[in-house]
Amino acid sequence: MEEIVPKFNYIVVVILMMTGLWSMLAQSNLIKKCIGMAIFQTGIILFFISIGAKNNASIPIVAKAPLGQAHAPEGSQPPAKPELTAAKAKAYPDPPDVNKLTNPLTQILMLTAIVVGVATLGVGLALAQKVYQQHKSFDEDEILENQTK
Amino acid sequence: MAELPIWQYDTLFLIAVVLFGVTALTMQNLMSAAIVFGAYSFLMCLIWTAMGAVDVAFTEAAVGAGVSTVFIVATIYNTGASAKPRKPRVGFKLFAGAVAVATGAFLLSALPDFPAWGDPKSPVNSTVAPYYIENTIRDAHVPNIVTTVLADYRGFDTLLETAVVFIACIAIYSILRVDSAKSTVDEPDIIAAPPAYDPTDSLIIRQASRIMVPFMQIFALYVIAHGHYSPGGGFQGGVILGASVILLCISFDLKFVLRQWTEKKIMLLTALGVLIYAAVGVACIFMGGDYLNYNALDPVLPGDMAFARYYGILLVEVGVGVTVMFSMIGIYIILASNGRFNRGL
Repeated sequence: MEEIVPKFNYIVVVILMMTGLWSMLAQSNLIKKCIGMAIFQTGIILFFISIGAKNNASIPIVAKAPLGQAHAPEGSQPPAKPELTAAKAKAYPDPPDVNKLTNPLTQILMLTAIVVGVATLGVGLALAQKVYQQHKSFDEDEILENQTK
Repeated sequence: MAELPIWQYDTLFLIAVVLFGVTALTMQNLMSAAIVFGAYSFLMCLIWTAMGAVDVAFTEAAVGAGVSTVFIVATIYNTGASAKPRKPRVGFKLFAGAVAVATGAFLLSALPDFPAWGDPKSPVNSTVAPYYIENTIRDAHVPNIVTTVLADYRGFDTLLETAVVFIACIAIYSILRVDSAKSTVDEPDIIAAPPAYDPTDSLIIRQASRIMVPFMQIFALYVIAHGHYSPGGGFQGGVILGASVILLCISFDLKFVLRQWTEKKIMLLTALGVLIYAAVGVACIFMGGDYLNYNALDPVLPGDMAFARYYGILLVEVGVGVTVMFSMIGIYIILASNGRFNRGL
């Protein structure tokens, strides 16, 4: 139990990938294959996100420093455009505590993967529709029978 | 037992996610499978929020639970909903199950080598990533680290990902698009036969979406522009903009939308987004910098030198938003109308 509980996320990742793989191999319905592909993909995304998660960490957005810590450099010239200067950035702590923010890198990799994933799902569905136009079926066995006729 | 480094709710959600995934794959009716798959995506989005990946969760809520469910439903609407297999294929299913289990066993055999869930000292969290967390505010003055890494540090990656969405859109067009006048393929029965009742004729749905759509679009613009400070950005805002138009397609009909956005306009605008992104990079070269090094754009941008990257990120996010919005609309219309661009869901 003490071995499994801290690594439960990896087990779920493997289960999701197994389910998706099985569906892509074994299901005869083309739409089910597409859904299986999407589930396989979410398994991989879950893997990346969960290795980037940290205990007791916040979301990867730098919070403003508590009031009083924010300060402009003393003795500096008053900025010409007070609303948009580097002094404003001083309102943020410098640098932020690495252990208090989750890993942003794995998140951005997966963010783009999701959008590309829906685009490829669209391609898969378009191919399935094209097959349906020819054979009037999503079932692999029926399509094969149609072809050998 | 020692202090458990996990989140109890996450464990419950993870179990629920597996159940939903298996249910979606075993259902006999494809329409139900699509809806359960949407619920699966929504649960995933909760899990990612709990793990601190708010941008990913936002994208998943808009893309996975929203748009991809609509894509699947549009495909099924054009075809058939029954997934009853002609042959049971028991032997083959067992064989495929054995292959899947073997793959899983190989993957699980690596389990002891992985760091514990949520370990801040794991290799992933302690090598490259701290650089981004420590330097984002100083380099780009953008509090949302994910946005900065997306559009600035890894700007090339995002440019090409946007190009992938555009190319996928073109691929779907070349697969499915048929000229209705010259087509020799029969229209599917469900499209050819008029439905028993006109599903677009619901006054409540029409008026509700008429009220909702402007607010959705304003929210989407806010998501794109405020992605610097909060979860959001070009991908999420673009998908929400696309979803608002898809809602119009569903609640009115395709013709209503196609009066505003013709097929040609949609394709041109999809390309325009990628071009905006690439042009920002080229502009950087002409201003004397490297490709996509926004500091070079400082003379033409408002504000301090320090904020050149801030505005550069905003410009490319607009490009991403335009491409994603119009590719989602285009993919939906072509899937829903079976390549004919005349009528659909």
